[in-house]
Amino acid sequence: MGTWSGKYSRDMLGTIDSLYRYPVKGLTPEPLDRVALEAGSAFPSDRLFALAKPFGAYDAVNFAPLSKREYYVLLNTDRLAGLAARFDPETRVMRVTVQGHPVLKADLGTAEGRAELVELYARVTDLPDGERPVLAEQPGYNFTDNAIDGPRMMNTISLINRASIREFEARIGRELDPLRFRANVYIEGLEPWVERDWMGRELQLGGPEGVTVRVVEETERCAATEVDPTTARRDVPVVRLLHENYGHEIMGVFAEVLSAGELVVGHTVSVREEATA
Amino acid sequence: MSANGATHDSGADQTVVVSARRMLTADVCEFELRRVDGALFEPAEPGSHITVHTPSGDARSYSLTSDVSDRSRRVIAVRRDGNGRGGSRSMVDEVCRGDELVISPARNAFELMVASSYLLVAAGIGITPIRAMLIELRRRRVTDVQLVYLSRSREDTPYLDELAKLVAFDEIDGVTQPMTLHHRALHGAFEWWPLLVTPGERHLYVCGPESLQNELRALTMHWRPSRVHMEDFAGVSAFGEISMPFEVDWQPTTARIPVSSDQTMLAALEGAGIDVDSSCGSGTCGTCRLRLVEGEADHRDVVLSESEQADFVMPCVSRAVSARLVVAPL
Repeated sequence: MGTWSGKYSRDMLGTIDSLYRYPVKGLTPEPLDRVALEAGSAFPSDRLFALAKPFGAYDAVNFAPLSKREYYVLLNTDRLAGLAARFDPETRVMRVTVQGHPVLKADLGTAEGRAELVELYARVTDLPDGERPVLAEQPGYNFTDNAIDGPRMMNTISLINRASIREFEARIGRELDPLRFRANVYIEGLEPWVERDWMGRELQLGGPEGVTVRVVEETERCAATEVDPTTARRDVPVVRLLHENYGHEIMGVFAEVLSAGELVVGHTVSVREEATA
Repeated sequence: MSANGATHDSGADQTVVVSARRMLTADVCEFELRRVDGALFEPAEPGSHITVHTPSGDARSYSLTSDVSDRSRRVIAVRRDGNGRGGSRSMVDEVCRGDELVISPARNAFELMVASSYLLVAAGIGITPIRAMLIELRRRRVTDVQLVYLSRSREDTPYLDELAKLVAFDEIDGVTQPMTLHHRALHGAFEWWPLLVTPGERHLYVCGPESLQNELRALTMHWRPSRVHMEDFAGVSAFGEISMPFEVDWQPTTARIPVSSDQTMLAALEGAGIDVDSSCGSGTCGTCRLRLVEGEADHRDVVLSESEQADFVMPCVSRAVSARLVVAPL
């Protein structure tokens, strides 16, 4: 339900339900209680790495942004959802677990650690003996899907209105884990699909201590959303169902961060009524 | 294989006679089937199943459970499911020695790969294909085989004595085939992780209820998927449609590429080194559109109009009605 504050009588108010980053493109989310954002930057340590296909177009030296097809992602490798990956940006240690059991602890600051990581994912992706994914990392680069559209889009954050997912769930008669949509910020307390009117608008995320963002693009979904994050099975044709129910394949928006601040779970989200851009 | 989901076969059904039957437990009955003309059956592999037209009128699939190299007979074991739709009940309650049955040729959806090391997991009646595999592995002189057999109690454990003998025989032979028998009610939940933590070169075969398969699938996400074998969920897309394998010819190079039941035409083309631009993977965005030069497509996209469907195809979701499609870039 939307609420109305006296001071910002024309603003819609919601709250930050949850915050996530995805240190390795395609791998599992890490929940955050709070996150500090800089103007013009994406979530820190979000899509910092990617697992590139061997003998593919990824070139670490002469790097150019690539299609997600050049990486192992849920679109092509549903099993990635079955291994929980946690990355500590301070120590650069990556921990991977299977149903809570540790299968890897690797220091990505060392060649050995990086080798251990790609060895594990060579098995998960079932590469032939001797072939391994390439651990892609580029200074100042995030491997988001829209990084291919330039630095401005690369540095956006992704937002999801949870009410829209619920309305979609009610229509299709199936529950959908919101993490199928792999957003950074999940928002509660809004009416379904209000975000369809957000293009060009500014939002205040996280109250006065938070950040101002401007919505710059809607998120067209792909078949990665077909994979259940818990079972790692491709089970619900999410994109097709969006198309059939709404005539579009959109769930969520991308926004650019206009001012520095902190996002905290539970803090408010307000949406200006009028477009400002 | 489960008793449900009978599969269709290209070969002709044949009439067999029940040459023997015996109760293995209170509700599991073994049937030995021979051809009425006394001839040999076609060769079959361990893991294969046959479809039986049961007296209830329903067709049910059952795994071959004995030594498949003995082509004079097919042996199956059927668990009487009192709550089922009646197929297994009619088999156990009504089929006697000397009766005739119609069965399909053997078909294999649970192939035993050549490997140096195996972990076999069976729950209850799931022992049937696993037993045929054990016998085959014994013949192949594979020494590194471990069996975990889950059942409700000793009394509810089909083939327990025979399996124990098989293991004992191997020990005399200097071959170790450890068997772990586990009763959940008695021993509690089985601790899988120590067996699964290090995949090594092993192949895992699992036959049991869906809950067990899901549990072991989740616990083997760090394994190569090609080394984890269980009742086939593949071939059913997120759209819930059954997918059959077919071939696609890439017209520019005339390369012929097989598309398996659990892969998309797009993935098969990409796997063959053919670069097809794509985006949504759901048949909605239209990026991967190819020209359909020859063959009849099973169009599963929402992009192509009816008139376009004759000349174009979306390889990210669409498949073939005919055995082969010939496609080309736009």
